Amino acid sequence: MKRNLHIALMVFGMVFLSGAAHAAEEWGLPEEKTARFEAKVVDVLCELSGDCPKACGGGKRQLGLLDGSGKLVLPVKNNVIFAGVADELIEFCGKQVIADGLFTTNRGYTIFALQFVKEAPDGKWQRANRFLPKWAKKNGVSADSPKAERWFENDPRVNALIAKDGKLGLGLKTDKEYLSKQ
Amino acid sequence: MQKGALFAIAALLSAAMAAPAVAATAERVKITGEVIDSWCYITEIMYAEGTAHHQCALWCAAGGVPVGILGDDGQVYMVLKLGQDDTSVANPAILRIQSHRVTVDGSLYDRDGIKYLVVNKVIDDSGIVKLTHEDYGIQPFGK
Repeated sequence: MKRNLHIALMVFGMVFLSGAAHAAEEWGLPEEKTARFEAKVVDVLCELSGDCPKACGGGKRQLGLLDGSGKLVLPVKNNVIFAGVADELIEFCGKQVIADGLFTTNRGYTIFALQFVKEAPDGKWQRANRFLPKWAKKNGVSADSPKAERWFENDPRVNALIAKDGKLGLGLKTDKEYLSKQ
Repeated sequence: MQKGALFAIAALLSAAMAAPAVAATAERVKITGEVIDSWCYITEIMYAEGTAHHQCALWCAAGGVPVGILGDDGQVYMVLKLGQDDTSVANPAILRIQSHRVTVDGSLYDRDGIKYLVVNKVIDDSGIVKLTHEDYGIQPFGK
């Protein structure tokens, strides 16, 4: 119950309160630390293996933040519920940015949630929620529509898989049996 | 001739600037474990394994959150490539094996505390075997 409330508050915060001020907001994550740092946007696979398509793979690859000390930071989340950072960072491929967000450390891993980003040193701050308008455009709806706001429940790729395998992934019959008991 | 040489030098410099300074050495590995959503699992913002989290794991994978493999050794391996398809953002092939127990052959890069995996081949796919919904419900909204 407490955990569900926590998630609900976090979702609310991410969607509605992500702020006019361009400074990271706390989400209540484990060992959370707000951070603002300069880094180069890199294609992670390119950085590791030397396999480097042009333009960081055009948004099809996970992107990383290479800071001034040579440390590769993995940004896992953006400021949209259930979404990552590719749509937020792809336009900055190969460029220096100022990243603003949260580091969280748990289970032995430190990962980063990107909340705001701008080109260094004095670009315009952008909230890391451009996933939504891109998703909305791709799916023929308005970015401020209820459908886009709950994009995850309206995503045709996901819905096709759920229509086939169910929410539990075990088939529609198992879903029906389980959900009828709830 | 001099102009040609200048172009050649410029092209070399350009390539050198685009590519990483030092590409790391990969270790060939065989990993067995569950395909997971890395964000929910690492942060523990909710229970994030098996059937209870399957729907949410699909949402996150479609949203471009990195997909990982939670190895039987307890380590999380971030998947950067699957076979010849180097799409690691919302890759339909990765969505199709979300929450499955798999064994993969791959190349492992360990960098700054994160294990990154280039999957050469999925050797075995047992489907979804971790039945967790009876204990944890459907995460995170219960439906």
